[in-house]
Order: sequence, then C-alpha cells, then structure tokens
Amino acid sequence: MQEAAFSHRSPTNRLLFGLVITLAAVLAYSFYITVQLAGLRKLQSEMVDRNRKDSLQLLRIQNDLNTVALDMRDMLDTTERYPLTAWTAQLERLRQDLDSALKIEEGLAVASRTPDQRKYLTQSVAQFWDAVDRMFALADSGKESEAREQIRLTLQAREQALSTAVSRLLVQNNEGEEQAAASIAKIYDGVQRQLYLFLTATLIAIVLTSLYLIRSNRQLFARLAELSGQRSELAQKLISTQESTLRHISRELHDEFGQVLTAIGSMLRRAGKQAGEGTPLHSDLKEVQEIAQTTLNNIRTLSQALHPVLLEEAGLESTLDWYIPTVGKQAGIELHYEKSGKPFPVEPSAGVHIYRVLQEALNNVSRHSGARDAWIRLKYLRDSLELEVEDHGSGFVAEKMQRGIGLVGMRERAELIGGTLAVTPWPQGGTHVCLRIPREKVESHAA
Amino acid sequence: MCAAANLEFRLTDVTAGAGIQFQHNSGAYGGKLLPETLGSGCAFLDYDADGWQDILLINGMDWPGHKRQRSTLKLYRNNRNGTFTDVTKAAGLDIEMYGMGVAVGDYNNDGFPDIFITCVGQSRLFRNTGKGAFVDATRSSGLFGRQGLSTSAVWFDYDRDGFLDLFVCNYVRWSPDRDVFCSLDGTHKSYCTPEAYRGDTCWLFHNRGNGTFEDVTATSGVFDSSSKSLGVAMLDYDQDGWPDLLVANDTQPNKLYRNLRNGKFKDAAIEAGLAFSMEGKARAGMGIDVGDFDNSGKSGIAITNFDNEMIGLYRASAPGAFDDVSLPSGVGAPSRNTLGFGCMFLDVDLDGALDLAVANGHIDETVRNIRGNVGYAQPPQLFLNDGHGKFRDVAAEVGGGFDKPRVGRGLAYGDFDRDGELDILLTTNNGPAVLFRNDQLAGNHSIRFEFHGTESNRDALGTTVRIFAGDLQQTRMVRGGSSYLSQSELPVTFGLGKRDKIDRVVISWPGGRTEEYKELQAQRAYKCLEGKGIEPF
Repeated sequence: MQEAAFSHRSPTNRLLFGLVITLAAVLAYSFYITVQLAGLRKLQSEMVDRNRKDSLQLLRIQNDLNTVALDMRDMLDTTERYPLTAWTAQLERLRQDLDSALKIEEGLAVASRTPDQRKYLTQSVAQFWDAVDRMFALADSGKESEAREQIRLTLQAREQALSTAVSRLLVQNNEGEEQAAASIAKIYDGVQRQLYLFLTATLIAIVLTSLYLIRSNRQLFARLAELSGQRSELAQKLISTQESTLRHISRELHDEFGQVLTAIGSMLRRAGKQAGEGTPLHSDLKEVQEIAQTTLNNIRTLSQALHPVLLEEAGLESTLDWYIPTVGKQAGIELHYEKSGKPFPVEPSAGVHIYRVLQEALNNVSRHSGARDAWIRLKYLRDSLELEVEDHGSGFVAEKMQRGIGLVGMRERAELIGGTLAVTPWPQGGTHVCLRIPREKVESHAA
Repeated sequence: MCAAANLEFRLTDVTAGAGIQFQHNSGAYGGKLLPETLGSGCAFLDYDADGWQDILLINGMDWPGHKRQRSTLKLYRNNRNGTFTDVTKAAGLDIEMYGMGVAVGDYNNDGFPDIFITCVGQSRLFRNTGKGAFVDATRSSGLFGRQGLSTSAVWFDYDRDGFLDLFVCNYVRWSPDRDVFCSLDGTHKSYCTPEAYRGDTCWLFHNRGNGTFEDVTATSGVFDSSSKSLGVAMLDYDQDGWPDLLVANDTQPNKLYRNLRNGKFKDAAIEAGLAFSMEGKARAGMGIDVGDFDNSGKSGIAITNFDNEMIGLYRASAPGAFDDVSLPSGVGAPSRNTLGFGCMFLDVDLDGALDLAVANGHIDETVRNIRGNVGYAQPPQLFLNDGHGKFRDVAAEVGGGFDKPRVGRGLAYGDFDRDGELDILLTTNNGPAVLFRNDQLAGNHSIRFEFHGTESNRDALGTTVRIFAGDLQQTRMVRGGSSYLSQSELPVTFGLGKRDKIDRVVISWPGGRTEEYKELQAQRAYKCLEGKGIEPF
C-alpha cells in the first residue's frame, strides 16, 4: 500500500502545473507592462513632448518679441543715422519667423489652449503688425517723429502685452508639464509596485517549488536507499543460503557417498582377493572397483567444487594453491599466480567468498575475455588483503557482464565481508579485478 | 623641427629673413577695452602692380590719454628675392589709427589696388595713386562721418556694374565713453563678452563709379541693428552669377544675404542652415571662408567659433542648403577647445583638394584659470584634406614652428616668391606677424591665374574659374575679404598633383562673359584679360 501511494506521488505533474502557472503569470505581467508602457508612451508623446515642443515654439515667439523690443529701442535712438524705414527688412524677417512659430505653435497647442486664448493671441499679433505697418507708412511719408511716437505709445505696449501673454502660456505649459510629470510618476509607481508584487510572487513560487523538489528528492533517495538495502540484504541472504546449501550438499557427497563408495571399493577389493587371481570374476570385480574409485574421485571433485572443504581444513592460501592450477588445466588458460606479503589466517567464512570471487573472475576470463594468460595476485598487506585478477583479453564488456549476475554476486560477496570490488577495463584491452578487504574484517571473522 | 616624412610639403618661418618686423599694438594699458582683444588683420596685395605680392599689416594704437608709443600699419614691398622692404612712409600710410581689418580692391578700376582699412571709430579708404603711394580718400569718397567698431570688410560688385562696392562689418556699438564695466571677480575689470553691448548694423556702400560711394545699407535690406559681425565672405551660393554675402556674427545668428539682383538682399541663413549651430544655438562666429573643398562645383563654408563651439564646416547638401559636416570631416573635434579667428581654404600641398588653415587664440589671458584645457595662446591648425571628405590637423608636422601657440587673429595666403606654392601670413594680437614659406617636397604641380576685368570690375572679383585636368575638376572664385580682418591674394592657384597640364579652363566673368582656354601647361602663371585672351607671365 505504502509503495503504491509513493508511486502515485510523482512530482512531474505538479511541476508541470507550476510551470504552466508561472508562464501564465509572466504572460499576464508582460501584458500588463506593455499596456502601461503604451500608456506612458502615449502620455509622453501626446502631453509631454507636445508640451515641450509647444514651449520651444513659445520661447521662439518670446525671443522674437524680445528682438522686436530691442529693435524698437534702437529705432527710438535718435543717434542712429539710418531712417526708421531701414528696419523694414529686419522686422519683416522677425515677422516671418514669428508667423512661422505661431503657426507651428497653434498646431501643437490645440488641446491645451482655450478658444479665447487662441483668438487673443492671433488678434494681438495681427494688431501689432498692423500697427508696425502704420508706423512704417508714417516713417515712409517723412513723419519720423510721429512714427517714433507710435512706437513709444502703441507698439511697445502691444509688444509688452504680447510678451506677457506668451509668458502666461509658457507658465501654463510648465504647469501642464508638471501635471504630466506627476501622472507619469504615478504610472511609474504603479508599475514599480506591480513589479515588486510580481517579483515577490515569483520568488515565493520558486521557493515553494524548490522546497517541494527537495522534499520529493529526499523521499526518492530514501526510497532508493531502502530498496538498495533490501536488495543487498536479499542478495546476501541468497548467497548465504546458496553457500549453506552447497556446503551441505558437498558434505553429504563427501561424507555419505564418499564413505559408501570407499566401503564398496574395500569390499570389492576383498571379494577380488577371494575370487583368486586370473579368474574372470576377479577381472570383473577389479573393473567394478575401478569404476567405484573413479566415481569416488568425481564425487570428491564435485564436492570440492560445490564447497571447497579444503578452505575449512587447510585455509584460503592452500585452497588457492590447489584450485588455481586445477582450473588452469580445466580451462586451458596459463594462470600466473603470485603471492606477496606476510600471510595471515583468513576466516573460512570470509575465505569462501574470496574463493567465489576468484572463481567468478576466472570464469569470466575463461568465458568472455578470450585471453590465453591471466595473472592472479594475492597480497597480504599490513591493513588489508587484496586479490587481483588481470587479463589482457578483449576487455570489460559491461552489457555482457550485466546480463548475468556474476558481477553483482561478486560485489555482494565483497560487501558481505566488508570489502570493496573494483572492476577496471585496461585502456589497451583486458580487465583488472581487484578485491580489497580490510584486514580487521578478515581477522575479525577469523577471531 | 623637421617636417614629417609623410607630408608633401613643409613650412618655414621666414619672417625675420624676409625683413618683416612688425609688432601689433592693441593699446592695452589695463583698461580692458573691448577692441584690444580683436585686432588685427593682414593682406597680400600687389600694390605696385609688378606681379609680386606685397604685404600689408594692420595695426592698432595707444588709447587717448595712455600714449606710450607711435604705431602704424606696415606696408612691405616685395623685393622679388624673398625679402621685403618697409615702404609704409613712402606709400603715405604712416598714419596712426586704431586699425582692425583690411579689404583690398581697385574701386576706381585704374589698375592699382586701393585699400580700405576698418577701424575703431572712423574707417579709412586709401586710394592708390599708381605711383607707389596712397592718398586718404575717405572724405572725398563719401565714407567719412561714420563711427563704428568696424571689423572685416569686402569689396564686391553686387550690382555687376563693373565697379566694386564695399561691405563693412561692424561688431557692436562701442566707443570708449560707452565702455561697460565687466568683471570676473567683481573687483577687477575684465573684457566684456559681446552680450554686454548692443549690436550694430553692417554697412553697404554702392560705388557710384565716380570715386564716391552711396550708403545703401537701409535700402538694400542688409540693415540689421542686432548683428555683431566679425567676418564676411562673398560667394554665389545659389549659382545665379550674382554675388551673395555670408556674415559671421558673434553670439547672433549668421546672415546669408542672398542677392536679389535688384540691388536688394534677403537674409536666407536660416533656410540655408547657416544661421545657427546644429543645436539651434547662435554661435560666436569669428572668421569665415568659402571654397569648393569637395570639388563638387559648389561652395563649401568654414566659420570659426568660440572655444567649446567647434569650427562650422558646411557642405552644400541641396540647392540653397548646407549641412554642417565638421564632426564627420574630422574638423570638429580638434577645434572643440580652440577659439578660432582667421580661417582660409587653400591647397597647401597642391594635391587638388582645398585644405583649411585656422588661426587660433583666446581673448582672455586668464582663460586657463577657468578652463584648464584652453590656453590664451593656441597653436594654429592646418587641416589637410584627403580628397574624400576627411580632414586631419597636421600643424605639428609641417615644421617652421607653425604649431607654436600664438594669440592668432588674421590669416592670409599668397605666393610671395612666385614658386606656385601658397605661403601663409599670420598676425597675432599684441604680438608679431609671421610669414611662413611653403616648399613642396613631392613635386606637386600648380597652375596660377591672374584675372583682370575690362567690362567687369578691374580686379575681376566674382569671376568663377573652373579647370578640368583628366578626372580632376576644380572651381574657384576670385574673391576678396574672407578669413578674419584679412585678405588673401587675388590670383587663383590650383593644385594639380603630378599633372603636367590642364585640359581646359572655363572663366565666367561677373559681367556675364564666358571664356575657355585649352591645353595649358602646369607650373606656369597666366594673366587673363577679359575678352582679350590669356598669356603666361
């Protein structure tokens, strides 16, 4: 039940759901930002930029009016050698520039100007230039002093009034600009607030997702560790059961069948003596005795193979001394066996696993490597016991070896006795198997 | 200093060897009077009509009440051997006046150039007698009785009647009794900026053809009481054959007076893009020159400005319109920290592309205390034109101490040694004048023309000259004025590179006649008389 529940708690669906939610949030926020920016752009282009352009034109108008004022001041200067009509071209240039500026300004200020304001400005400018024309007409007809009087009494006052009106418009524009700036600031504040909210929500989502992932990963790893432990325990139980069974069968074969066959052999030998030399019965009995002896030998060999009794009787070293040449002959491989270090007794229950690992390693050499030679090194080190099997054959083929349980069995046996197993392919071909068991594990078993 | 190996020419300071010993007197005594910072100009002219360029150097004088020395302008006659003789006294010019600039032109068409000297107060017209001397014709010509702070001036025949008319720039309404107290520290007087003074109109005098002039300032449309003019150049920007005028104003919009062919002018500077900087600001225009620096057949323009304003270099972009190309051309950035006055287009290396020379110098001795990277004395600049729209300042490479910091003002060119190479004359404020001889190192060739009108004005001012030499086409106009307070020689010099000849020259006289001559050899000077042919000299 618990396993079933666990399998149904896969995080994938929830993560996908979270991803969809996050993407939806990003899209929603992007849309919100786009809308806000469009509004901001509209506000800037329609209000601020327009206002600034309008202010620039108003400044141009004011500058022209100031120049007109200066020109009128010069025109009233009686030390000037030129007649008033000399200013005609100068004022005409200003008039053209003023007209141009007013035309542009009128187009820019449609929204922010009242009809009365527009009318006043247009009429004032027209009246001013009418007065200028009248003044020049007077000057042209030789009435310089009257023309100057008109400048003093009419034109300067009109110019002042116009200049004041333009100044008021500039102030109005500045106020409008300030209002626009406040609106923009409000939009920026809103966007900023929303951005912070979005970022906070995104952060919370990331944190929750991360916590959920961590929790799921922990559960997965715990489950994996549990399964691994169970598998290891099962494997070790299987190995122990197998060893126990093999030992029992080996004992039975050796003790029961061996004694029976030995007894049969003794009885046949006695019966042969009684039948007399050279008789057919003697010959038959001799033949049966030889068969019994061969069977006995085979049973002893099978018994050794199933469980080397020698391990318990003579120890690991002697068992290997017997086993290696034997398997070499059987497999047709030249086995080079080296021992090094100061030997110490190995507990038989550990020795059997070392023996099995060697057995499996040599079996792999024989069946998979195609090598004609193999090297076996048993090293009694100060703090460990090492067994190395090396060949220079076709090498380590992981897939091939994974199909069987040989490698798994070797690792399990190594773990069972507290050691480690390293199977390393040689770069130039061949395989190196190294079993390393801490000395105290071996000795503790031996103690 | 040696000239750099990659330049095709070098300059040599020959002032002392040529016998020119001139010291400008600004009259500065501590009163910090505005005109002290402005002067003065110079000119190459052939006053004795011997075919050799002489030199005229304008001078100021001590202010009334502060007399310490006597100072006059100087006229140096060319000895035809690389040296000059001071003939001021013999020429009748040994007269004290607060001179500013000079315009040279044969206003009475007698074959000898006359001199108009702009002054603080009354400007002077000196008529050349043809006998090595001048007489003051200010009063008799009708030019007397006008007070101003006059700066640059130019002779030109605006109505194409064959007589040279006169345009005079005025800076501001200043006189010693109108002087304004300006101060940087609130205690000590310093030189005022032009904003402290009212502007003053330029003057246009029409030559009646009888030795007298008529003031047509008011009726011609050039009257402008707001202008603060320092430089003027004649040009034909609309290529209608009628001379127009471009006036550089200080802190006021520049004026482009388009000739309406009826004796009137109309300001077209705003439409042409010349009135303001690219930022829409009126700059402090000082010197000015016009030249077809891109060999497009259309006039380009250079206007020097205050420091931090860059030189304005304009190229004709469309009919009647100009683009400021100072930055992309490489002239803008190097002129950002200089205050330019005199400027002139000349083909200094004779490669067939007009180069640009600029005289720099500040007006305020203490400027370095305010702006650390700007000095009072500043090196002149010589921008070499690569023929592809790019200029490079080679002042430090041309030798002759050309790049020595000076308080430069006037600038003019002329081939004083008649080797076909354009030499440079530079004046400084309250300092000496310097003459640089130009020597070609790479063997570039030139061809020179001197024009004399018969129906047109005698100096042929306003004549357009086009030469064709293979793929090379160049256009020049015979002009006076330009630069700042100064005037270059009237003969026209074309650089030809390694070419040995030109295929043809097309001359468009101001009277309307067009002449064409073919297969002219380089390294020669030709004299061309309107309607009478051309001959080497």
